[in-house]
Amino acid sequence: MSTDTRNVQPLRVEGVTVRFGGIVAVNDVSFTVQPRTIHALIGPNGAGKSSCFNAITGIYTPASGQVRLGETVLTGTPPHKIARQGIGRAFQNLALIGTSSVLDNVMLGRYSLTKGQFMAYGMRLPWTMRQERAHQDRAAEICDYMGLSHRLHTPAGALSYGEQKRVDLARALCVEPTVLMLDEPAAGMNSSETAMMAALIHDLRDDLGISVLLVEHDMSLVMGIADRITVLDFGRRIADDVPAVIQRDPEVIKAYLGGAPDESGESAEAAAISSEETSA
Amino acid sequence: MSDTEIANPPATPETTGTTPVTARRSTAARVAPLIGWAVLLLVLFLTPVYVPGEWLSVLCWIMAGGVAAMGLTMLIGQAGQFSLGQAFFLLLGGVTYTVLAADGDAEYIGFGLPPLVALIGTIIISGLAGAAFAPISGRLRGIYLGVASLSLVFLGYYLSHELPMLAGSASSGRYAPTFSVPGFDFGETNPQLLLLNVPMGAAERQFWLFAGLTVIAYLVGQGAMKGRVGRGWRAVRDNEAVATVMGVSVPGEKAKAFAISSAYGGLAGVMVVWWYSGLMKPDEAVELGTYSTYTTIALLAMCVIGGLGSLGGAIAGSALVFGLPLALPLLTGSNQTVDASGTAFTPIVITNLVFGILIVLIVLFEPRGLAGLGTRLRNLIRR
Ligand SMILES: Nc1ncnc2c1ncn2[C@@H]1O[C@H](COP(=O)(O)OP(=O)(O)O)[C@@H](O)[C@H]1O
Ligand SMILES: [Mg+2]
Repeated sequence: MSTDTRNVQPLRVEGVTVRFGGIVAVNDVSFTVQPRTIHALIGPNGAGKSSCFNAITGIYTPASGQVRLGETVLTGTPPHKIARQGIGRAFQNLALIGTSSVLDNVMLGRYSLTKGQFMAYGMRLPWTMRQERAHQDRAAEICDYMGLSHRLHTPAGALSYGEQKRVDLARALCVEPTVLMLDEPAAGMNSSETAMMAALIHDLRDDLGISVLLVEHDMSLVMGIADRITVLDFGRRIADDVPAVIQRDPEVIKAYLGGAPDESGESAEAAAISSEETSA
Repeated sequence: MSDTEIANPPATPETTGTTPVTARRSTAARVAPLIGWAVLLLVLFLTPVYVPGEWLSVLCWIMAGGVAAMGLTMLIGQAGQFSLGQAFFLLLGGVTYTVLAADGDAEYIGFGLPPLVALIGTIIISGLAGAAFAPISGRLRGIYLGVASLSLVFLGYYLSHELPMLAGSASSGRYAPTFSVPGFDFGETNPQLLLLNVPMGAAERQFWLFAGLTVIAYLVGQGAMKGRVGRGWRAVRDNEAVATVMGVSVPGEKAKAFAISSAYGGLAGVMVVWWYSGLMKPDEAVELGTYSTYTTIALLAMCVIGGLGSLGGAIAGSALVFGLPLALPLLTGSNQTVDASGTAFTPIVITNLVFGILIVLIVLFEPRGLAGLGTRLRNLIRR
């Protein structure tokens, strides 16, 4: 049974608001990630993209609104049970355990798919060890897919930045997600690495038949692979459409260029955004 | 498993794709540790034949400290939860075992349970007590959690003062039964058992018992830390958001880490009462003595010296912190552990100097402690 039969449900964000004291980080935002699409969430720094991710994965509790995966309401579920629903997430800052091996890092993604407490592992119960080996093999397979098979037993901290990004992605894939959430997967990468990352994300969607929700600053990457784009600015949704329309949306251009409309569109936006990135 | 398979993943540029994908290490890499363990067990088995009783006693004391430190180092180094309360769980374990195993009389409460039942009961009760600390440990972090857990040591001192029917009457302590299983009494003083013509008396048997418990405590901890549990704890330690998103219940794992650490503390507490043949004056002073703030800090020092999170390091740390003060008088031939004059370099003073200096050196040069040095050495040898 191949994974294109994974039961992928639409991820619906419905009127979600996230507040921190007086700050409204996400303001009544709605969008739907259709099954097997690459959906990009873009916007200037501080627009609320990461907060939106955190609301979806239950790290932040929305002040109002809800998130649904198919018919399942994710909002209000204990946050550690959301992974089990098929949400895999890679992080904006490298959030690996530097002293642990790549395999150990990636195996964290299997946490919600495995069982066994302290004594079961401590006594190395046969079925616990059998489960562990089966899941390690699967994790190794995913690492192989990500081009990390020669690094399995290397401490994650010893890897190059690009490799660490891939470990983070492999860990998210180890959840066996139906919706893969990527927070700035190409941050800090040069243009050829970015192109490779774009190809990888595209392949992942095609091979696994999963949805991808993507936060990314690199416009060339987003415009190249996204099926649909939601644009946030100061926590509000200012646009939600296909890339060709977004590229020409005056409000989006205004948000990115601080009010100076520019017909050259894409490249100017990318320049504006990459300068933001360095200041971040 | 069929629903978790990728159908023909296309090779990314870096993929070698020649060997079948597996996470397993070579047969040699898996067999070598087994041989190592077999040798170690044989050495431990024969140690009482060749090592004199007073040194066996030192080794036993090191192992008692090592078990307590193993629990603490998992809590601090793996789960990232600071604690200065381990001496309390040493006391709790000691009192619980004594109460469960000793016979009751007019002065003391006791249930006279078989020692094995009392031992297992003590480990469970200590673990539950650690879990009961969860409402506090889940809300506080770092140094605040350290101070809150330190208050447990004061609580233990106060309670043992107030409840002499459990912990022994003022400054006298209370006798605790030695361990025995049907057919084998570890407290046997008049042994019929000879090994290579050496009689295996109480000291020798205690060494076997302590070595067995320490090896089990090590293997259980190591297995858990290598697997899913340890991965969850390390994620909680390094990034709670990542842990949560990957399916780890952060409050749940924090509570479990405290429970496990306390259960190790409780087991070590039982070893301590066996070593002293009873509860040693838990109500004597809160800052010095078996269950004092001094001990709690000594246990923390073992973890830091050994390398936070390393179980082997915890034992090595105990060899220095608990072992030196007992070993030095044996080496120098004097039999005092505390020098009355107070000016000379007594073993305790020397030990304190040594572990003080070691902690400074480790913080400066090798934050992974003795375990880190061990890794470096092994890498040097492999090259
Ligand atoms: N934990 C938090 N506490 C307080 N303010 C926060 C927190 N997380 C995010 N914010 C604020 O919410 C806004 C949106 O941040 P974020 O979601 O990180 O934006 P983005 O990912 O789009 O750059 C910012 O103003 C930020 O300062
Ligand atoms: Mg962000």
